Amino acid sequence: MTLSPMFWTYLKVVLLVATVPAIVGFVIVFAERRIMGFMQARLGPNRVGPQGVLQGLADLLKLVTKEDITPAKSEKAVHFLAPVLAVIPALTALAVIPFGPPVKVGKTTIPLWVADINIGLLFLLALTSIGVYGIILGGWSSNNKYSLLGGLRSAAQLVSYEVPMGLALVSVLLMTRSLSLVEIVRRQEATHLWFFFPGMVAFFIYFVAGVAETNRNPFDLPEAESELVSGFNTEYSGVKFAFFFLGEYTAMIIISCVAVTVFFGGWLPPFPNVKQLDFLGLVPGALWFLLKVSGFIFAYIWFRSTFPRYRFDQLMALGWKWLIPISLANILVVAFAILLFPGRTTGLVWLSWIFGGLFVLMYLLAKLRQTLARRDRLAATPQSAQG
Amino acid sequence: MALKKWLDKLTLLDLFDGLSVTGRHLFKKKVTIEYPEQKKLPSDRFRGMFRLDEERCIKCTLCAIECPINIIYIDWHNEKNEAGKNEKVLDRFDVDLKRCMFCQLCEEACPTVPKSIWLTTKTYEMAAYDRNESLYLDIRKLTDWREAPNVKPFTVVERG
Amino acid sequence: MTDDKLSRAEKDEAAYFAERAKARAAADEAGERTEASPGAHTLFDVQEMELNFGPQHPSTHGVLRVVLKVDGEKILEAKPDVGFLHRGTEKLFETETYPMGIPHTDRMDYVAAATSNHAFCLAIETLLQVEVPRRAQLIRVILDELQRLSSHLVWLGTSGIDLGAVTPFWYAFREREQILDFFEEYCGARLTLNCMRIGGLPFDLTPGWTERVSEFIADLPSRIDDYEQLLTDNRIWKKRTVGVGVISAEECVEWGLTGPILRASGLEWDLRRARPYECYEELDFVVPTRTGGDTYDRYIVRVQEMRQSARIIQQCLARLEPGEIRGKVPRVIKPVAEEVYASIESPKGELGFYCVSNGTNKPYRMHVRPPSFINLQALPRLAKGHLVSDLVALIGTIDIVLGEVDR
Repeated sequence: MTLSPMFWTYLKVVLLVATVPAIVGFVIVFAERRIMGFMQARLGPNRVGPQGVLQGLADLLKLVTKEDITPAKSEKAVHFLAPVLAVIPALTALAVIPFGPPVKVGKTTIPLWVADINIGLLFLLALTSIGVYGIILGGWSSNNKYSLLGGLRSAAQLVSYEVPMGLALVSVLLMTRSLSLVEIVRRQEATHLWFFFPGMVAFFIYFVAGVAETNRNPFDLPEAESELVSGFNTEYSGVKFAFFFLGEYTAMIIISCVAVTVFFGGWLPPFPNVKQLDFLGLVPGALWFLLKVSGFIFAYIWFRSTFPRYRFDQLMALGWKWLIPISLANILVVAFAILLFPGRTTGLVWLSWIFGGLFVLMYLLAKLRQTLARRDRLAATPQSAQG
Repeated sequence: MALKKWLDKLTLLDLFDGLSVTGRHLFKKKVTIEYPEQKKLPSDRFRGMFRLDEERCIKCTLCAIECPINIIYIDWHNEKNEAGKNEKVLDRFDVDLKRCMFCQLCEEACPTVPKSIWLTTKTYEMAAYDRNESLYLDIRKLTDWREAPNVKPFTVVERG
Repeated sequence: MTDDKLSRAEKDEAAYFAERAKARAAADEAGERTEASPGAHTLFDVQEMELNFGPQHPSTHGVLRVVLKVDGEKILEAKPDVGFLHRGTEKLFETETYPMGIPHTDRMDYVAAATSNHAFCLAIETLLQVEVPRRAQLIRVILDELQRLSSHLVWLGTSGIDLGAVTPFWYAFREREQILDFFEEYCGARLTLNCMRIGGLPFDLTPGWTERVSEFIADLPSRIDDYEQLLTDNRIWKKRTVGVGVISAEECVEWGLTGPILRASGLEWDLRRARPYECYEELDFVVPTRTGGDTYDRYIVRVQEMRQSARIIQQCLARLEPGEIRGKVPRVIKPVAEEVYASIESPKGELGFYCVSNGTNKPYRMHVRPPSFINLQALPRLAKGHLVSDLVALIGTIDIVLGEVDR
């Protein structure tokens, strides 16, 4: 009995939906709290289970057994629907992400993605937009004017930052001429050039916009505790809150996965040109993917524990006045580089060297200037004024 | 000046500096003391649970007078001892731990040497499930902590 | 909620709106138009919303209620409503003898208890004309400056958290933990110290205390460098604090604001320099002053004050010599019937005690000049025109402790 291809698709869907929320709940929540704790000169949770690994389970059990409160005058149907609308797009987006190269099982070759549609990136951007509904409806249905404000602010933020995100991805599209994520990885494989290098600016813009899309520090004003309320999810408790939480963290995973796929070569091992490092190719592609995505999640956690929060008007100004013009300019520069050497990647290679070299040079200059200035300042001030 | 600031802003120098601080702390040794498996030793002068020595006490009630919150209740009466002299006998020596602020003024006021009432017992685990019974110390609980089941002695410090 | 309660809430709502409509109609008749009359809303009418920044809030540093009138997100009016932590401390002083009042001062500014004790003792020592011995003066200054460090560390941590930077809090409290250990070793308690007595100090230092404090102070500048690296040049921190809550030096003097707020606005007024008490005259330190008067300047002033406190402690430790720790004070304290006002520079500003004695062993009146309360009065002036998100930054920058505001 040969298994129909649909069987494998169903199996993959079931596995994804079963494991990703579990990973979010058990691994990411625990990792965030522990790593943030370590960065803050303290130990994170280390009581539940050996070294605290079962903390996610404890959190899950707590959320699931909590009383489900619905505010009295709220719209009950919408109140119920909002968390669902926040979670479903994030989980659906997992369908188009390539987790690794196709593997051979017996006689069949199974691709490690659920569906490779030829408009993959557009699909992802569309799903992020639908996720905004969950937040607006969540804020509105709580019958709480502060939740409403928080929800609307969050929605405005999400919608504003979708534009630079899309524009940054457009500049990568110019390099691949395809929206399919698998095709993007294959193109990086063929040209031996991860699109991070020519698309450095695009990557920075994409990641910053991605952090803003998921309402994470430094852009987490709508759900900050020290603001008026906890934002749109104030009135939610128990499983509904768990769903919002899950939606946010799954969106984090999606943004990281897309960043890895589009800019960092997906499942490809690094340094493919170097013959001596060929052994890196022995590591399965899926493991490389996992490592890279973990690196990005670590970056998310690192940002959260380091930076203060932007105020809302400053947040919007950053998105509209800085990120969008820079991403537009970036598109022009990349298009120019490609057109100069049509059909070959020389233009992109030049661009990578220019971008990379310029950035490293400027950073070193800035660091040098800082050290010199510090030394000058220490020498100039009298002993009495120093600490 | 403008060039320097522009350079710093463009290369995100300040943000990378901040990230390096937290990155460094990720690998530093942590100073957390994990209670209750590890406990910090209180200092010698630590103001904790009360102890009373009934024999040393001369029932002058100076501690009750000095207490800013008046939570020490002392009752005594005169009795003739074997030698025929009048001697004070303690009827009641209660300390209301619910309201005590552990200021040590009672210990400072005590005129005996060594003090008859002292707080430097290094004991701070006196939590109780019911306030009115366990957190109201009478003379039995003050002189012998075994009578006060909610008090966990840290180390028994005998002021001899 | 049962239907009964629902309709009661609705009835209350209807009554409230009817009352507002009546008030508006009365105002219209009287010729004053404060808001648009009912039914005549145009697009440009100010729709003000009254918002309660309630007593229970993660960033009001205690139980502070601020009644806000906002237009969208802009604050039109911010009125602090205090009194939730009032415990009748000044009345308590009148019912107890002078030495019994010291533990109560701990609980006013509970973050900087030693300075509160110090101001109280200073007032009574001035009444009694008691001379504090030199060793006691030096140790008092050390305790004061350690307490200033501790208070500024708390301020740094909580200010950071209010604005989203969650890590300086933990680093600051790690340092503060060591300071609290020093206090515990010296007087037996970490927070409510009761560490000063009238005429001097209750105990002498324990052996090894000075070495440990020196070690800590030697480490401190690099720790403060860490906090500065996280915050001072950070563009997000600057965006949140530069230009927020600007107040000029003249206005500070008019409102009676003291402490880092005054110094950040340009006036170099520090009681340790201007009206020296204890042994501050012989110590060499700089009074940090900035001219901008906004939140960022106040942040810089406080961080530099931390560095200067470390220097002061180093100098005092070097000058320590064996000696008496308590001046000659009568057993029962009955000052002459006089009034005296004595103030010191606490971490929050000028902390003063106005003591009226009537010849008995209990004060007739002991009034506190709490810096937090007087600085808080400036909140409506500072908050006008800023956004609600800035309000948390402003409450943090004024650095209030509700125990002192409400006493």
